[in-house]
Amino acid sequence: MQTLTVRGLTRRFGELVVLDDVTFSLDAGQAAAVVGPNGGGKTTLLRCVVGADRPDEGEVLLDGKRCHETNPEVRATVAATLDDIDFFPDLSVVEHLELVAYAHGGTAEPVAEVLAELGLDGARDQLPATLSSGQRRRLALASCFVRPRGLLVLDEPEQRLDVRGRDWLADRLLREKAAGTAVLMASHDTELIERIADRRIEIGA
Amino acid sequence: MAVTTTTRPAAGPTARQVRGWLRRSRRRHHTGSLGDTLTDIYVVVLFVGMYGWFAVSGLRGQLGSTPPARVDTADRYWIAVALALAGAGLVWRAVRVFGPLLVTPAAQAWVVSAPLDRRSWLLPRFGWLVLGASAGAGLIGAAAAFTGGSDSAVELGWAALAGVACGATGVSASVVAQAARREPRWARLVGTGLVAAGILVSLLVVLGHLAGFSIPRPPVSSTVLVGLLASPVAVLVTARAQRALGAVDRASLTAGAQYADAAAHAAVLLDPSTLAALVEGRRWRSIGRVRSRRFRPGGRFAVLVQADLRRTFRHPSAVAVWAALLLATYAVAVAVPSIEAAAFVILAYLATNRLAGGLRTVSRSPGLRRALGGHETVLNLAHVVVPAVGAVVWYFAALPGVRPGVGLIDLLLLPGVVAATCWGATRPPLRHDGVVVVTPFTMIPVDLMRQVLRGPDLVAVLVIVQWLLG
Repeated sequence: MQTLTVRGLTRRFGELVVLDDVTFSLDAGQAAAVVGPNGGGKTTLLRCVVGADRPDEGEVLLDGKRCHETNPEVRATVAATLDDIDFFPDLSVVEHLELVAYAHGGTAEPVAEVLAELGLDGARDQLPATLSSGQRRRLALASCFVRPRGLLVLDEPEQRLDVRGRDWLADRLLREKAAGTAVLMASHDTELIERIADRRIEIGA
Repeated sequence: MAVTTTTRPAAGPTARQVRGWLRRSRRRHHTGSLGDTLTDIYVVVLFVGMYGWFAVSGLRGQLGSTPPARVDTADRYWIAVALALAGAGLVWRAVRVFGPLLVTPAAQAWVVSAPLDRRSWLLPRFGWLVLGASAGAGLIGAAAAFTGGSDSAVELGWAALAGVACGATGVSASVVAQAARREPRWARLVGTGLVAAGILVSLLVVLGHLAGFSIPRPPVSSTVLVGLLASPVAVLVTARAQRALGAVDRASLTAGAQYADAAAHAAVLLDPSTLAALVEGRRWRSIGRVRSRRFRPGGRFAVLVQADLRRTFRHPSAVAVWAALLLATYAVAVAVPSIEAAAFVILAYLATNRLAGGLRTVSRSPGLRRALGGHETVLNLAHVVVPAVGAVVWYFAALPGVRPGVGLIDLLLLPGVVAATCWGATRPPLRHDGVVVVTPFTMIPVDLMRQVLRGPDLVAVLVIVQWLLG
């Protein structure tokens, strides 16, 4: 079953064509790495897939159905960490994750486990303003793992992670694949791509 | 650890329950009380009410002080209509830029991405939005009628009703446009059409005035007409917008949030440069690509001037606003001749300022200055050429609307306007580490006052000079 299908996706800024007729598909349990030079449109592609940006042409299908971000089923399936994530300044680390779990109809049960796995348990009661950029990145990634998901969309997930963090990320993504989650990520980390990706989607080359 | 991949939306909480959870959790970390919030609201209401009343009563007095022989009331009426149309068009465009519905980036990342019912999540803020827009527009309508000389409660009531109806219609129609998958053509046309209608009406009035002809006022009160026609439209459009809330997507909710965030930063730090940079960035991104051409050889100074000229003409609105301000000078002379001389100087400054983008950019960017090299005075002078030439053309095109012929005072005013533009455009970035003045309302950095006053201070001097010598 193809989890994600992207057909003829085109995005322009004025007369500048950032994405030109991008087409690919991704099966459940598969990982694809979007690669290309800076400014090639990797982030724009991911934003169009999750509905944070509107393509000028083309379509995104999820489980064979046209994907609209306004559909709750789509939001229940797609877990994403892009570069535009922000935090409530007055909610602690653990409260952020509990909020996501609760809003997705779950419980706080997986939160402690995810915090421990990401090395954030010592920071569970800290407010976002006190976190380092690496901890913020881990918190953003954690938001994807405390909720149900069928498709993970990650924009350069390795950014600001130390060596141990990158190892954890690779292991985690392998487990996600094994559990049937499709992974679409943009990355410049060749080692991560080698370990995780079943295929590469080259854009902007 | 188990990986959950069930993606059918679970029977989760309602939007209202999540809102309540979020409110309770956030409240736990807040030290501020309800009293603090009410005090903040009181200060804002007091500030707006006090200065709003000063502005309205001052303008009413100014309009009433013009001898009837010097002004045609029909012309003044139509100029007011033109102003209302153009103002409504600009407000529409601003509202569309913000959304008008938006969520903060944090709410977007942590809540709106969850499978909550979108309509239920947005409904309270839509209600507040319609209420706020209606109340604000109603107040503006009543204030405009009062400024125009209305004293009767009935007339003021009709004006307020017209304002309420237009406010509700405008904001609800923009929500309907926001909910569309692609920006509807009518939404673009509304903004452009209203501004174009305003310009056209004022152009007709000015040309008619110059030809000795006046367009008669309509036989029925426009506020009554607008109030009667727009009220049912407001109800219908608001109901339509309420139904469309479920289709408002994340892309449109977050686009405006970035502006709102930048506006909040600008308000908190009292520094509009964040917002200005975002507006500028989005504007150029919407153009995306331009046709690059080689500069004509002629030395460093000539190339810098060419680059500045090229940027000015690439700016979508710099020249259009420059020309619209020219028309505004004539419109002021027709509608409020008692302030035409002062308005002439102020509008000349605003028009010249529109062409000084290059000077502002190089003045605020040490990196750019280093990259361009050479002496800073030469660099600044090269970026003064375009605004200075624009000022000369604008000045002599607008002058006949104010007085016949060129006088000695113009030898002072024209260089003064260029100097005020340069003075304002070369202001350095805001410093927050300087001296702070404590006012009854808030603490204001001294440097902020310099930011706000640098440029307009010289214009004020020119207005006084014009008043004394003109």
